[in-house]
Amino acid sequence: MDAIIVRNLRRVYKSSDGIIKRKVKEVVAVEDVSFEIHQGELFGLLGPNGAGKTTTVKMLTTLLIPSGGSATILDLDVVKDAGKVRPRIGFIFGGERGLYWRLSALDNLRYFASLYYVDTQVARKRIPELIELVGLQGREREKVEGYSRGMRQRLHIARALLHDPQVLFLDEPTMGLDPVGARELRTTVKNLQSANKTILLTTHYMFEADALCQRIAVINKGRIVALDTPERLKENVQDLSVVEVEVYGMPPDQIEKIKTLEWVVEVSLENRDQVQVLQVHTPKGAEAIPMLVENLNGLRLGRIITREPTLEDAYVRLVGGAK
Amino acid sequence: MLHWILWGTDMMERISRNTRIFFEGAFYSYKALFRWLNPATYLASKVLAPLTIMIFFVFIGAYASGSNNASFYVIGNSLIFAASSGIFGVTMSVGGERWTGTLPYLFGCPANRGAMFIGRAFMHILDGMLGVFIGLGWGILLFKLDLSQANPLALLLTILVTTFSTSGLGLLMGCLSLITRNVMLVNNTVYFALLIFSGANIPVEELPAWMQVIANGLPLTRGVACARTIIAGGSLTEIMPLLKEELLIGIILTILGYFLFKVFEIQAKKLGTLDIF
Amino acid sequence: MNQVQKNLRVMLLAFEVEMRQNLTDGFVIFGILIQPLLVALMALWMLKGKGPDYAIFVVVGSGMTGLWTTLLFNGGNSITGERWTGTLEPLVASPASLRMIIFGKVLANVAQSLGSMIGSYLLISTILGYPLTLARPALFAVSLLVTVFALVCFGLILASFFILIPDFARMVNTLEFPIYILCGFLFPIALLPGWTTPISYLLSPYWAAQALHGAAQGTLTTGQILADWGWMLAFSLSYILISGKLYQVILRKARVDATLDIVGN
Repeated sequence: MDAIIVRNLRRVYKSSDGIIKRKVKEVVAVEDVSFEIHQGELFGLLGPNGAGKTTTVKMLTTLLIPSGGSATILDLDVVKDAGKVRPRIGFIFGGERGLYWRLSALDNLRYFASLYYVDTQVARKRIPELIELVGLQGREREKVEGYSRGMRQRLHIARALLHDPQVLFLDEPTMGLDPVGARELRTTVKNLQSANKTILLTTHYMFEADALCQRIAVINKGRIVALDTPERLKENVQDLSVVEVEVYGMPPDQIEKIKTLEWVVEVSLENRDQVQVLQVHTPKGAEAIPMLVENLNGLRLGRIITREPTLEDAYVRLVGGAK
Repeated sequence: MLHWILWGTDMMERISRNTRIFFEGAFYSYKALFRWLNPATYLASKVLAPLTIMIFFVFIGAYASGSNNASFYVIGNSLIFAASSGIFGVTMSVGGERWTGTLPYLFGCPANRGAMFIGRAFMHILDGMLGVFIGLGWGILLFKLDLSQANPLALLLTILVTTFSTSGLGLLMGCLSLITRNVMLVNNTVYFALLIFSGANIPVEELPAWMQVIANGLPLTRGVACARTIIAGGSLTEIMPLLKEELLIGIILTILGYFLFKVFEIQAKKLGTLDIF
Repeated sequence: MNQVQKNLRVMLLAFEVEMRQNLTDGFVIFGILIQPLLVALMALWMLKGKGPDYAIFVVVGSGMTGLWTTLLFNGGNSITGERWTGTLEPLVASPASLRMIIFGKVLANVAQSLGSMIGSYLLISTILGYPLTLARPALFAVSLLVTVFALVCFGLILASFFILIPDFARMVNTLEFPIYILCGFLFPIALLPGWTTPISYLLSPYWAAQALHGAAQGTLTTGQILADWGWMLAFSLSYILISGKLYQVILRKARVDATLDIVGN
């Protein structure tokens, strides 16, 4: 059974600038997005910044009204039945806002428990459990303003779970966390899924989606460009291999030239310390190396390797490399 | 000879550089104000808000005495408007640096601190004077304020000196904003203290003796008294002693503010508290 | 829990949370407590000529200025403030009614500002030694309760204006004193030109000030005070009815325009 059904969802933002002559600009943030999430599934929405992930989540959490299309959560329409959707979902948005900094974690949770109509007796029992779950025990009476980023993020999770929602939306929950904090948070998310909650997770980290999600929708410029399991997404690029060349001072027009070569599928350029790493996706494998070197004449080259494609390469191919 | 020429050009360069720092500071501190208030709203708060405050006090005064003594309150409150841009405007332009997190850059730059500091107050002095004119204008329009007896030059001088002295207080408060998070709170207290002590709404001689002492130590008190004398037909020589004292208070406050600014700069660099707020 | 209990609990917690947050904010404490004390002190001196009996008039009147200022700045900001902290989204996405939350928050602010009236009472009676007696204490107490209710209802509408009218927050300074003037807090409106009187009649703080001054000084009959309560309750009722529709409109608009999480206007 599907917990979330999204059909042709669309969202346009209007912005106006200028003081006297107001020009109205329209920006399409989400265009024709459709997907289903099964009950109990951990579903990833993967895409670069500004791809439309947060906009999609906000429409599903009843905070934005779609410009077109429809979405249902547990068979309830997110616009028409917003009032019925709200008690059934929980959400966290990445970042540190959305908490009362001058109050303690305990007070924040107590307040939101009342806003979600959680029975007083139930809340009294559940709040300490949640504080324990997100590892804030011992600090729960301190003001949030003294918390680290990671602690605030975990408090957000506890807040989202207060009313034991069936569906959870986690919008970039690891944003801005240090590696250890991010790993702990991923463990928490994994545990939530084993508690049979339906989870929509957005992220721009491939490995995060790969490690956590059963299925991934890749979104780019407001549109879904691929939707499959991580394994199948990787298979898409299985016929290719990746040649990595360390180069120094690669001019942009040369990248464009390589892109046009008949045996090249995708090119990306990444800056690492002093060198740039040119990654060329090609079906030719190691055979491509001499041809590539020929096209890089005049440039100082470093190490050259060929490797199997990863999910990241699949992602790069989907959302476009050096564009 | 050459030595003198070099010294001369160097001097000129320094003057022109500091003049630029001065006016840039003035310009940007004013622009910061407009970022919050769009021109129309600024005008409304500059023109309408003073009127409502003035009406309030004029009517309390009328109720209290049973007679119409509007001029007393019109003059007093017009000068209070100078204090309000002097205190709030200047504090915001100094304290604003703290909130925007640009303070470390300001303290890190080699610009002359004096030019930078006073420049910030300059536009607010003009703004404050404008406030006084608007206040008096409302007085003429609505409360039969009679300026025919007033020596315009003396009045202008009084307004200028008073606005300057209250801006001096603003600079001092602005420095406090570098160390306290709640500067607006301190500002409000000072502003209301001026309302009570300066003689704008309550004649100073009616206050208890200990309050009169405080009143005489504050800027604005003498300015208000001078303005009333001038409007009643008094001469410049008559008010000169008081006006000089008002100017002196302004100079002392500015110098105090400047040194406090320097002290905080050194303190902040030593303790590394620039970013803390 | 039935719906009434749920709403009551939401309101009480919103009240508590707002109270706790205010008590850690010096600016709020100043606005709520100290500013009205200074106004009281000033008015006391200005109205000295009226004799010591007027001290109670000053206490009540300056207390009203405090109530209004708090309502305007803190109450009006109750929704916008949540937007600044980023908590408006979680509030809106919760099943609780935003109106109940705002009611609780405004109530907290108004209740705190009553503290200033008590403060100026103590200051003027004990420290400055003026005789302060309430002519009709029971009527005064009830008038105060009705006033609080009426002002909180007005605050509901005010808070939505901050969202609906982008320049409202910036114009708010301009609105502080006109109410002081039109509602007869510290001088009777009979001193004002006649054309302003109908405006005063439309403002519930005017009826509040009339009831409170009348009960404190004993200048009004019981019937007159009851009539003042009637006006306040009638206005409150209409505000509550209007606010129901108003909140639907602003929330719908915010979700269409994507302004729930935008800082500033």
